[in-house]
Amino acid sequence: MLTILGLSILSIVGLIGAFYMAWNIGANDLANSMGDVVGAKVLNLKQVCIIGGIMNFLGVVFFGSRVTKTVGKGIVRTDLMMELDPHMAVLGAISALFAAGIWVSFATYKQLPVSTSHSMVGSMLGFGIAAASMGIIGFDDIGWTVLMKVAASWVLSPIAGMVLAFLIFNLIRHTFINRIKDTVKLEKLFGPLLIGSSCYQAFSFGSNDVANAIGPVPIILGMGNLEIPLWLLAFGGIGIVIGLSTWGYKVIYTIGEKITELTPTRGFSADVACATTVIICSSYGMPVSTTHVLVGCTIGVGLARGLEAVNLNVIRGIVYSWLVTVPISMVIAFTIYIGLVWLGI
Amino acid sequence: MRRFIRFPVDMFVKSPFKPLYEHAKKAGEAVKKLEEIVQAFCDADTDRVDKLCGEISAIEHKADKIKQSIRENLPPSMLLPVNRQDFLAFLKPQDSIPDSAEDIAGLMTLRSSYNLPPDIKEDLIQIIKETIKTIDEYEKLMDEISRVIKTSFRTDEVEKALAGISAVEQIEHGIDKMGLKLGRKIFSIEEEIGAVGVYHLSEIVKKIGEVSDYAARAADMLRVMLSK
Repeated sequence: MLTILGLSILSIVGLIGAFYMAWNIGANDLANSMGDVVGAKVLNLKQVCIIGGIMNFLGVVFFGSRVTKTVGKGIVRTDLMMELDPHMAVLGAISALFAAGIWVSFATYKQLPVSTSHSMVGSMLGFGIAAASMGIIGFDDIGWTVLMKVAASWVLSPIAGMVLAFLIFNLIRHTFINRIKDTVKLEKLFGPLLIGSSCYQAFSFGSNDVANAIGPVPIILGMGNLEIPLWLLAFGGIGIVIGLSTWGYKVIYTIGEKITELTPTRGFSADVACATTVIICSSYGMPVSTTHVLVGCTIGVGLARGLEAVNLNVIRGIVYSWLVTVPISMVIAFTIYIGLVWLGI
Repeated sequence: MRRFIRFPVDMFVKSPFKPLYEHAKKAGEAVKKLEEIVQAFCDADTDRVDKLCGEISAIEHKADKIKQSIRENLPPSMLLPVNRQDFLAFLKPQDSIPDSAEDIAGLMTLRSSYNLPPDIKEDLIQIIKETIKTIDEYEKLMDEISRVIKTSFRTDEVEKALAGISAVEQIEHGIDKMGLKLGRKIFSIEEEIGAVGVYHLSEIVKKIGEVSDYAARAADMLRVMLSK
């Protein structure tokens, strides 16, 4: 088989797909965590990109492996499949990566609030169903229990974030807002805290989102035990940082302009709630939508009377994108996979 | 260029409170013009009354436009720091303030000031001055409300706002009494100004009373908004 630098063409194609997903995460999802810092004018765009990139990278490298394992071998028993038919496993993993990449790109272009996690999980499921229908694995080898848990985490995580943000903002009102009468002074005091909370958030996003880029890569590279080496996490982290620096900074700027209402006290509450929720999900290996959690947290601050107006229409958009993302990415992955097999690749 | 953005930034919408304060300002503007028009009415300066009536009407129209845009931009999906229904219920009496001011101005154009006794003129100007005081107090209250919203209901600001509500109600109560007294006086001079004159003047006094009534009613609605 033709190889370049010891990698087969298929592996290179797979790595390109993974890099593209990582780029997408950096271009959008990571940017969401830093918008408030720019909006509150605590740091400038360049400073925010640098610290956001670093913190995200650290989250990826030190805490990214759990979710990566879920995506890589929790949804489909890919470890089993690699023993049975490694080539078909590689094709499936590549199909899943490209399916997620295609859907995320299309949906983002349409400005739908879709999640890379939902897309990747849906794609892996599509891969699993295709493999099972071709008789490579059994339908029992799809991790239905894991899928149920993941689906539950998708519903629960934004709600948990909302409740947490509500509580945190109320706590801040009792301990700071009611005591420090000078609003300007108070918000200044929270400036550095907002930087800290955004860093925490960027770290948590890294720990969760990277899986959607590199989860299937160990299969593609034929790593028998499917352990995730540090260099692979770093590869995902670098892809995310490149996404941030080539596109994400624009997203940070746009979001920052729109959310000036998230002053340091409000932004801090939303960030801490969001980061904590995401970190907890990461520790359970649950690939959640960081964007949806952040929306939940913002609503939580709004419910605590922290914002002058929030349009709850956004919930409808999120539920809608959730419902379409899983089946569509599933179908795309299924189709690509069957197509590749049919072509005899 | 289409924005390649996934985050639903649309969830951050323009605050309806800013136009609400603007609307309150318009209400104040309309009421403050009443002093001039009552003066012109007492001076039997019909041209000036007509001109001022037009000005008040224009202010009322602007207030109406603001009210409409507030309602249009407040779909049921909007989450506010106060109950949305309470917010809309509050907007109604506040919108009646410039409406009443316009009605008063209109009444003054119907009939020129037939030789009114000087003390009636004085009382008319006095009651308008008190009405403007209510509105001044009301505008201060709305400034306080803006601080309440900005500070996410900081306890001391809420207390100040509650005190402001009572202040508006207090002046309104005084105006009620003035209006009753003035009404009695008007009916006692039927022989001088005729039945139609009595009717006309008592209508004016009734409408003047409404201005502060609506301000007090709006203030009372604020109490509901603050109490949750």
